[in-house]
Amino acid sequence: MKPIVPKKHEPVRIGFYVCHCGTNIAGMVDVAAVAKYVATLPNVAVSRHYKYMCSDPGQELIQQDIRENRLNRIVVEACSPLLHERTFRKAAEAAGLNPFQVQMVNTREHNSWVHTDRTEATRKAMALARAAIDRVPHHKALEVKKVAINPNVLIVGGGIAGIHAALTLARAGKMVYLVEREATIGGHMAKFDKTYPTLDCAMCVLSPKMASAGSHENIHLWSYSEVSKVDGYVGNFQVTVRRKPRYIIEDLCTGCQECVDACVYREPKFADEFNLGLGKRKPVFLPFPQAIPPVTMIDPEVCLNFKRGKNPDGSHTVSDKCKKTCVEACGDRKAIDFRQTDEFKNITVGTIIMATGFKIFDAKRTPFYGYGIYPNVYNALEVERLINASGPTEGDLILRNGQRPKKVAIVHCVGSRDENTNRWCSRVCCLYSLKLAHLIKEHTDAEVYNFYIDMRTPGKGMEEFYNRIAEEGMHLIRGKVADVYPDLDDGQTGRLVVQAEDTLTNKILKIPVDMVVLGVGLEPHPDAENLRRMFNLSCSAEGWFLERHCKLAPVDTFTDGIFLAGCCQGPKDIPDSVAQAGAAAAEAMALIDKGHIEQEPNTAYILADECSGCKSCIPLCPYTAISFDETREKALINEALCKGCGTCVASCPSGSIVQNLFEDEEIFSEIRGVLAPVPA
Amino acid sequence: MVAQLDPTVVDRNTTLDTLLQTPAGRRLMTCIQCGTCAATCPYGEGMDFSPRLVINMLRRGFLDEVIQSESLLRCVACYACMAKCPRGIRLTDVLLPLVKEQTLVQQSEIPAELQKSLQNLLRYGNPMGESPRKRANWATTAGVQVPLLAQRQSNGPVEVLWFVECYTSFYARGQDNSRATAKLFDALGVDFAILGNEEKCAGDCGQLTWESGLFETLTAHNLEVFNKYRFNRIVTGDAHAFNAFRIRYPMYGLQAPVEHTTGFFARHLPQLRPLLTQRLDRRVTYHDPCCLGRAGGSYDEARALLEAIPGVKLVEMVHHRANAICCGGGGGGMWLDTYYKQKGLERLSERRVKEAIATGADVLAVACPYEVSRFEDALKVVPHDRPMVVRDVVELLAESLA
Repeated sequence: MKPIVPKKHEPVRIGFYVCHCGTNIAGMVDVAAVAKYVATLPNVAVSRHYKYMCSDPGQELIQQDIRENRLNRIVVEACSPLLHERTFRKAAEAAGLNPFQVQMVNTREHNSWVHTDRTEATRKAMALARAAIDRVPHHKALEVKKVAINPNVLIVGGGIAGIHAALTLARAGKMVYLVEREATIGGHMAKFDKTYPTLDCAMCVLSPKMASAGSHENIHLWSYSEVSKVDGYVGNFQVTVRRKPRYIIEDLCTGCQECVDACVYREPKFADEFNLGLGKRKPVFLPFPQAIPPVTMIDPEVCLNFKRGKNPDGSHTVSDKCKKTCVEACGDRKAIDFRQTDEFKNITVGTIIMATGFKIFDAKRTPFYGYGIYPNVYNALEVERLINASGPTEGDLILRNGQRPKKVAIVHCVGSRDENTNRWCSRVCCLYSLKLAHLIKEHTDAEVYNFYIDMRTPGKGMEEFYNRIAEEGMHLIRGKVADVYPDLDDGQTGRLVVQAEDTLTNKILKIPVDMVVLGVGLEPHPDAENLRRMFNLSCSAEGWFLERHCKLAPVDTFTDGIFLAGCCQGPKDIPDSVAQAGAAAAEAMALIDKGHIEQEPNTAYILADECSGCKSCIPLCPYTAISFDETREKALINEALCKGCGTCVASCPSGSIVQNLFEDEEIFSEIRGVLAPVPA
Repeated sequence: MVAQLDPTVVDRNTTLDTLLQTPAGRRLMTCIQCGTCAATCPYGEGMDFSPRLVINMLRRGFLDEVIQSESLLRCVACYACMAKCPRGIRLTDVLLPLVKEQTLVQQSEIPAELQKSLQNLLRYGNPMGESPRKRANWATTAGVQVPLLAQRQSNGPVEVLWFVECYTSFYARGQDNSRATAKLFDALGVDFAILGNEEKCAGDCGQLTWESGLFETLTAHNLEVFNKYRFNRIVTGDAHAFNAFRIRYPMYGLQAPVEHTTGFFARHLPQLRPLLTQRLDRRVTYHDPCCLGRAGGSYDEARALLEAIPGVKLVEMVHHRANAICCGGGGGGMWLDTYYKQKGLERLSERRVKEAIATGADVLAVACPYEVSRFEDALKVVPHDRPMVVRDVVELLAESLA
């Protein structure tokens, strides 16, 4: 369609459309009355109401009116512009109108959904419509700018979601920076023993993916590293990554672990993080046998060659007091470097995938379960390590007192579904608790009691898995555990009593057990708030990263070019994390393969004649888009960097900054419109 | 974390018929029937209808069956169910007293001990039926001046209106608490006064038992007396009076700040600490009163006071802080011991002292006057090798004064 070139002094002709949205809007707003009212307003040529404006016939209605009634402005009163602004701009453009001559009015989220008085909601719909009708004549035809996109991708977090997204993108030929905070990738999944519902071993399926992520030519794997700064915008993010010193030169280390064998500490002595402190390691160690990268690291807090404690800047001081048998063992490989410091890498990427994962609920917050008080109370992740062949007991389920448990209680919903801790259902605990019940029984032949509130096993194969575990003869007791305390009749064996109501038989149970396993829920990572700020994301009230739309844009964020994968967005199991990681990779690829970004032309510009060169706008710009032209003594806005936040516009003392789509006359007309009297 | 009581959500006019229309009632609709309340209830095993079932019977319209049973007579208003409820349902302060009230109304026979005590409360203003004219007699034995508010010379408001309460006025062992408190006020130079014989029981157990009418009578009396005088704050050593003043009295107009003696003295610890010079080389375990701990969120104050005493070594029982087991005296339990015995139920005070004995402590410290007599009685029947005494926190503090 040939663009409509507005003639000089051509009168403004507005087409107005109010959407029923089924009953979403029409149920609370008298849409016919709104259309009738708007028809009486100045410049309005057409005023209609229609069942679904976003439908194809709805869009065609607008296009037909543009052609037949020579409309040059469109106002659609419907849902949030977040959902359909693009739809209506495109529809208008297809009919030859400049897309920025379209204005949307949100009468659903801002009106019909939140009010209960039909008369007042209808009047509000009229007032909102009036504001747009008064504003839209001032709209100018604007042009969309295209900016090239950097094809590289940053993935933050090397758990299963980050690994899967990285491999998907790398296979498609994109360059990926995979940044992992810990010394190895693998995340929580690497700690699991077997996975439900198939009971295949977690590492058997994960380690090939870890290994290919570690060796893929398109993946820069930066473990023991953290993102420290993010600037820029979609297509062109400047990111600084801090590579923390592991005191081993990654490129030179072969992973032979001869340094570990040679360490002056003959025996492992220090709490082993990977095994949650249940096992021991040396000052120089490989996090776990299948770690990727297969590179050892040195813990400066306990290594004799360092002084104990950190310097104020976080660095460690070398004491050089050790015999350094590790260096000797390393020999010509020369991979050990006690003087390593933080290394900062600056990279440019076009898109970012957040896959920062979760943290398990700290069971000390429910003190009546005795975690951290009674040694035989474990959280579920600890039990995963205890039954894992590569764990501290090589898969032999032995308690801290050296005994093999004969009776085990598994407590569901610890730190989930609870007003006093976390309100959400963590989604995975019922199933992992059933899985642990099976594995504990398999390892020890113990009697296993599962205490649950509601058994939640949705998903493919999950109910069948529940059925299988029930058949194996587990005690499945419907009641939340209220108390765990030592069995005073039992002397010093550490036996505990688990007290709960069996709500299906109406009886209070006090079951003596040797081991209590707490089915702890999933929580946002404590660092999520810092990350949210650094990456300019939104979080839900609970602290999970917020997706752009819970159903239709589940991996997008409100920041263009940043996507979500895995549990950082909310609790989910491995299949869902992998599916989401694939979706995030596809979304990133959709941007990259298009080759350019279309920028909303809502940028600000400076009226050079009026700028006094006071520079007050320059430090205020959050995107450092404003520079100072020394020769002309005027401020200058880089359109490519401007995100249209309007801060400079509001701050300019001489009023010499103008923002497209938000010009003073547009905003003042809108205010006058919304305040104008509407029919009772 | 466990739930904290928010006094503002309770409405004095709520009845069983209107409950479901209130915010507290709508919470009941969110109950997931997890049974935490039943399993944490110290008498959960003795109830045909546990709190969980009470909620569901109410939601299904079968509450009459609950009222006709005696289940709710076992509720000792210890807040244990409410503290752990994952849905934040207001069991102890809203639902259970309403059901309990109807239960007693429907009973053909009320346990005699309870009936007598409640009658005494109405007639004499104290549950033991002592003469109200003797209420302040203990003050002559305090060893320090205990001023009466009515005889106060100064025109300004008194800083502390000390609400002494019944057990601490009439019972010999209760008076020890009062004498200790008086000594501590005196040592700290606190400007305080008592109401003397004008005071009547604050009525907390009346409210939490069943008798909302009795409670309102006592409230009206005490508020009238409060209105005669000018004072900056109310301090009481009775955890139940503290509970009533904090939660229910404001609904009837009380505005003054209220503190329990443990809170008050903990706030004055910087001034008090130098005065605690007598060493008490004792192993002490502290029993959290329900009305201070779970209901009031005050766990650290009493412990801070105990640890300020030179020589005291604090040890914890298995169940402590939010998970503490009630002494069995709340919600009318104080006057139902015979009834519980008849029903074959273990006295909770005995269950509690067994835990105290297991700590190897010499002293079982308490902060509620009910507990002194309850635990001393229990110690008489529960065998123990090592001698153990029961002392209020203020008694130990006073003992440590030079």
